[in-house]
Amino acid sequence: MKVTESFRISWRAITGHKLRSGLTTLGIIIGVGSVIVFMVLGGAFEQNIAQEIEEGNDEPGMWVHTQQADSGFGDSPFVRAKFFTDSDVAALESIDTVEFVAPSARFPVAQLTHDGHQRTGGFAVEATTPERLEGDVVEGDTFAAEDEIVLSKEATDLVEGGLSVGDEVEISFDGAGSGTFTVVGIVEPTSTGGNSLVPTAGYVSLSNYETTIETPDGNQERAYRDLIVAAESSEVLDQAQQDTLEYLRSDSDAAQLKEDEHVLKAQTVDDAIDQVGDIVDQLTVFIGGIAGISLVVGSIGIANIMIVSVTERTRDIGVMKAVGARKRDVIQLFLVESVILGAIGALLGVLVGLGFGYLGVSVIGWPMVLPTDWILIAVFIGVTVGVLSGLYPAWRGAKVDPIEALRHE
Amino acid sequence: MTSTGSVVESVEAGNATVSLGNVRRTYYLGEPVHALDGVSLDLPDGSFTAVMGPSGSGKSTLMNMVGCLDTPDEGTVHVEGRNVTALSGSERAQLRGTELGFIFQQFNLMPRLTAAENVTLPLVFNDAVDVDRRERAETLLSRVGLGDRLDHAPPELSGGQRQRVAIARALVNEPSLVLADEPTGNLDTGTGAEIMDIFAELHAAGRTILMVTHERHIAEHAERIVHLVDGQIQEIEQLDSGAHTGGSQ
Ligand SMILES: Nc1ncnc2c1ncn2[C@@H]1O[C@H](COP(=O)(O)OP(=O)(O)OP(=O)(O)O)[C@@H](O)[C@H]1O
Ligand SMILES: [Mg+2]
Repeated sequence: MKVTESFRISWRAITGHKLRSGLTTLGIIIGVGSVIVFMVLGGAFEQNIAQEIEEGNDEPGMWVHTQQADSGFGDSPFVRAKFFTDSDVAALESIDTVEFVAPSARFPVAQLTHDGHQRTGGFAVEATTPERLEGDVVEGDTFAAEDEIVLSKEATDLVEGGLSVGDEVEISFDGAGSGTFTVVGIVEPTSTGGNSLVPTAGYVSLSNYETTIETPDGNQERAYRDLIVAAESSEVLDQAQQDTLEYLRSDSDAAQLKEDEHVLKAQTVDDAIDQVGDIVDQLTVFIGGIAGISLVVGSIGIANIMIVSVTERTRDIGVMKAVGARKRDVIQLFLVESVILGAIGALLGVLVGLGFGYLGVSVIGWPMVLPTDWILIAVFIGVTVGVLSGLYPAWRGAKVDPIEALRHE
Repeated sequence: MTSTGSVVESVEAGNATVSLGNVRRTYYLGEPVHALDGVSLDLPDGSFTAVMGPSGSGKSTLMNMVGCLDTPDEGTVHVEGRNVTALSGSERAQLRGTELGFIFQQFNLMPRLTAAENVTLPLVFNDAVDVDRRERAETLLSRVGLGDRLDHAPPELSGGQRQRVAIARALVNEPSLVLADEPTGNLDTGTGAEIMDIFAELHAAGRTILMVTHERHIAEHAERIVHLVDGQIQEIEQLDSGAHTGGSQ
């Protein structure tokens, strides 16, 4: 029996029970649909983060920080304590492949007041040096004195009436006192503030940064939670990363100040993108498991309907056998039917998933990424589910005794 | 195809489309039921045989045996020179698909296929036959007077029309042997007579026919009547070969 023939006959059987067939494929539609939605969202998320990380880092460099030692499960948390000293900064800067080292010294802002108008939290101020200020000063000048601040362009409308060069602002920091600053310039930042989710509202002199620590040599030095280490060029980035890690792990103050279970890391942009990918991959396994359960439920649904279908068509099977159908023809017929159900479920699931996924990413404003490989996997799974759930019913159909079937009233 | 009127058992197997030799078929439901109890019967090429007998006498069992749907517990069955008991299930299916045509009391059409598709259903399972199915269905349905009903589904046809579709289906593979179990059982007398006219044409065209019926006037269209009682042939009644032309008006 030709496969095209079984498609024609099976298709009749399926369209003969449209509602029933539709409900049967629902489990597969939901299972495949949820996977595709997640893959669209996950892919968009990954791409978006990658874009952002890349855009914010046109200079080759790495993020030096401390992390809990690998527990073996997922990602270890970051350590917030400050171990990188000014000596470390100087030592790293003396490495050939390193262009400069920018200690990150961010203060979360509790409140910003200007002219009686207030703005509460949600942003940070970075203490840095004028040379490290990543961006173009579009108005005024960069800071020179301790009480001067350069605002980022987006921060100029933080308070009612807006902020401009010459204004005085009073900033109270989260748990770190407060100060009055004169706005001396507006900067259009080229960096979105590294890996922080809190936007940087302005930049002040590093002399505002007061956290110190006693170095192993017995001196008091400023200490930082993390550093940006810029490489001379992207060609030497790998070398710079190696050199940096080598220094950090052997001679650095941080190596001696940190706790035993802490690990010093130097993460490049590529590492960061890989890490986001890893997180998405882990979620993928999780979602895959859930989808797997709904596919099992879906295939039980198909198997159930196929058994009903075989029972209902016992007489038809008898007729087909009487006019020359062999066992394998009957098996083929019912397998094709359940494969059609599974494949239709998978295809509809893909469409539904793409629809909802597209809706989701356009609402959030992420780029739409077509999960081509997952669409193929979904269709493959649909066909497989169809085959597996059709096997037993088809075998039951093949086993029908035509004499009994034709006696069926 | 002429009726010799001689003793049927004397016909040599080579000239017979079907040859049953001392066939036994026993069902065990508590007590053994001998559905067929030592039946020997030859169906010569082109013969038209009717089977009559009380309910439960083994008529359908005999039919299934000749139709290669069933195999005997004892004895031999030859169809078209093939030893049916030695064939595998799928070989028997192929034999049915190529050499036999079935007509049932309940018509047994596939409800979701059109008349034309029902007619050509046996060809679906027979890859070897490569013909224009539509044309074949049209020819056959026209021959049974349904040339204008090709695309009707069985539920849209009357009982007599359905049985004509079933007859067309039984002929689609050019079978050497046509088997009919109570072909007029679900039809009124007039419609039944029309169906028997078609059988007369088939017989005239040289097909071997075996037909079960419990109606004497239907059986009289045949050349001879096999009387079954309790799974045994009680009598083979030879009819005047011209009788059916007179009996069917
Ligand atoms: N599958 C079966 N299991 C048990 N007994 C059976 C089976 N099929 C047939 N029989 C028995 O075999 C005997 C012959 O049955 P068969 O169907 O051949 O009769 P029949 O002559 O066709 O009767 P009817 O005129 O009522 O159709 C009956 O006694 C029946 O009960
Ligand atoms: Mg019967």
